Amino acid sequence: MMHELPVEAYTSQEWFDLEQQYIFSTTWQFAGLVEDVANVGDYIAVQAGLNNIFIVKGRDHRLRAFHNMCRHRGTQLLRAVGKSQKAITCPYHDWTYDLEGKLISIPKKEQEFPELCNKELHKCDLNLHQASVDIFKGMLFVHPDKNAPNIMSFFGEVEPYLGPHIPEELIEYQEKKEVPFYSKEINANWKIIVENYIDHYHLAHLHEGTLNMYDHSKAEFGWAGPHYWFYEPLAPAYLADVKNASPYPLIDKMPEDKMGAYVPWLFPNIGITESESAWNTFHAIPLAPDKTLVVIRSKTMNVSEWEYTKQYTKSMASKVWQTMGNKGKYEGDANDPMASGDFMAEDVYACEQQQKSLRSPMFSVGAQAQKGEFAVSKFQRVVKEWIEKHKDDDA
Amino acid sequence: MMPKFHQLKVLEVQKETENATSIAFDVPYNLYETFNYKPGQYLTLKFIINGEDVRRSYSLCSSPALEEPLRIGVKRVKNGLVSNYINDHLKIGDMVEVMTPEGRFFADVKKENYKSYYLFAAGSGITPILSILKTVLLTEERSYVYMMYGNKNQDTIMFTKELEQLKSEYPDRFIFVQTLSRPKSNWSDLWSTSKKQFRKGRIDTESVEWFINEFPPYAQNTEYYICGPGTMIENTKSALKNIDVPSERIYVESFGTNTSEDSVESIDNATLLAQLNGELIKVSIPKDKTILRTLIDAGKKPPYSCEGGVCSTCICKLKKGKIHMKNNLALSENEVKEGYILSCQSIPLTTHIEIEY
Repeated sequence: MMHELPVEAYTSQEWFDLEQQYIFSTTWQFAGLVEDVANVGDYIAVQAGLNNIFIVKGRDHRLRAFHNMCRHRGTQLLRAVGKSQKAITCPYHDWTYDLEGKLISIPKKEQEFPELCNKELHKCDLNLHQASVDIFKGMLFVHPDKNAPNIMSFFGEVEPYLGPHIPEELIEYQEKKEVPFYSKEINANWKIIVENYIDHYHLAHLHEGTLNMYDHSKAEFGWAGPHYWFYEPLAPAYLADVKNASPYPLIDKMPEDKMGAYVPWLFPNIGITESESAWNTFHAIPLAPDKTLVVIRSKTMNVSEWEYTKQYTKSMASKVWQTMGNKGKYEGDANDPMASGDFMAEDVYACEQQQKSLRSPMFSVGAQAQKGEFAVSKFQRVVKEWIEKHKDDDA
Repeated sequence: MMPKFHQLKVLEVQKETENATSIAFDVPYNLYETFNYKPGQYLTLKFIINGEDVRRSYSLCSSPALEEPLRIGVKRVKNGLVSNYINDHLKIGDMVEVMTPEGRFFADVKKENYKSYYLFAAGSGITPILSILKTVLLTEERSYVYMMYGNKNQDTIMFTKELEQLKSEYPDRFIFVQTLSRPKSNWSDLWSTSKKQFRKGRIDTESVEWFINEFPPYAQNTEYYICGPGTMIENTKSALKNIDVPSERIYVESFGTNTSEDSVESIDNATLLAQLNGELIKVSIPKDKTILRTLIDAGKKPPYSCEGGVCSTCICKLKKGKIHMKNNLALSENEVKEGYILSCQSIPLTTHIEIEY
């Protein structure tokens, strides 16, 4: 057992399928940032568990979500991103829907579908299946059910524990257009990655030289509904010089007396990292029982290039980074994750190394840190209960 | 529950503008339940003026979510019998015949809702909108309200103080834009800082589109409430439909509708056969009388309340003949197709009419 779940939950296709059906197809799923559908007619299509759902912005600036599937023979209607003004046409046989999802045109209707001719097309029960879409803290979320419980009933409880950041006012940090800040297929089950994210115990050890600019001993954390929340202040030495040392211009909404990192995990698979100088989404997308795609998008202050240059120069000159934030746990080649001085590489390494052991007959979890790892077993309980509840609802 | 009249005492009479008054009523404890209402609904008042029994409906501007007395807003209508009577003569302590709250125009406000409400009000159309506004802000802690309020000039704005207070109390959830069609300019404008308090113009296709572009919804479950005179409603509705707002999300209450001249001539002395409360009534309809008035004059008791074509209490089904409805703000196209009519608005177009309540 891994605390609450059997080891198979991390290795078997059966569990993977169970989770796809009862977790990722029954929850509000992260679909991007609000600016991804900034303009009227913009759309994006995302995979959310078993469902492919597209979001389109209508001329009334309201988002609509539909299952991305023609009602004729099921063909996917829209590709990942694009723009459509008034109608959506299936590439296969040109069936066409309006932005309310109503069927408005079928080629050769009279010859081929005479039975559909005595009614208006949108009354033929062939309109697109509706889904739900809403916004939470600058992020888009979709739910496959058109009558989904409203998004604030899902996230409302954790909202007070999030950082003061206003993501809509920040701008995305991208080296190249359309390419996220970080994207990597990790050879580990998605839950291993979540458990690593919410594990307080490892911070001072795995990341002893990479995340030591935060004061782990003063961390506060807990649960709000199915969601995990976490806050820790800056380490005193970093705090003392943060105006110079910060790698990017400081987030202007950060109160000076509560300068730190807010690192919540929103159930089931989206984390946010809200720090003194950046705001990141951390999306863990299960691809296989032992494979997970992690996509990080990063936003920073909306100020001029010049401000960034000035801050970078000051940061480089700060003494803080001589002892903090970039020293690998081991000495060695920079390509070795444990010597890289990059905390993300350290986490990926630890997750993959753990996944490797799961198939060993000798594998077991030996003990649990009662405070620092409490969140790990709690998360597993949430997963288990969520599956059981939705299995029951189905039955 | 059948609508019913009760005697209520006037608790407060407050001048809102030069031409509008709000009236608060004292509801005795045993009638609290009976006078429970939803934000957006109205009261029907009955007076006997110059020996005539007259009824008018006025929207409630108070909020059921607040511990406040029932309050209606009444703006003078040019030559209006009742509105001027209320503005000129009604005083604290008067007893008034008030019918239990009614109306299909209301917001279904629930604590757990997460919505964006777009409210459009013109002139005295603010009354039910104010009730919805207060109730939503107070009850739905996460919902947003985007409101546009149109007036002729600074002097005709009702409830200014209350609206300003709400604006400062809920800066994160309440967006408020006022527009004036004929603003008064003041000498002081010349040296006041150019911070614009009002937009110039009417609530029309252009301004509604501007408003939604400027203030797109944050919560994606949106609803649109419109209240004002007929043309304002038509303009706002068509602006919303132009940008693909689905009609099931639009709610409308029309104020002051009897402005257009109705030129349809009725048939004199048509025969009316009416099935009412298990009785078959046969009478003839005198010239210019409605079906409802004919039955009342014959001593019968047909159901009715607003007598203005708004509330649909007087609904009945036309079995034979043709009628004309002078005003219909209650029945949908489909209901009319199925033969439903508002008897308070119906005059005969054929010599033989048969209806059933």
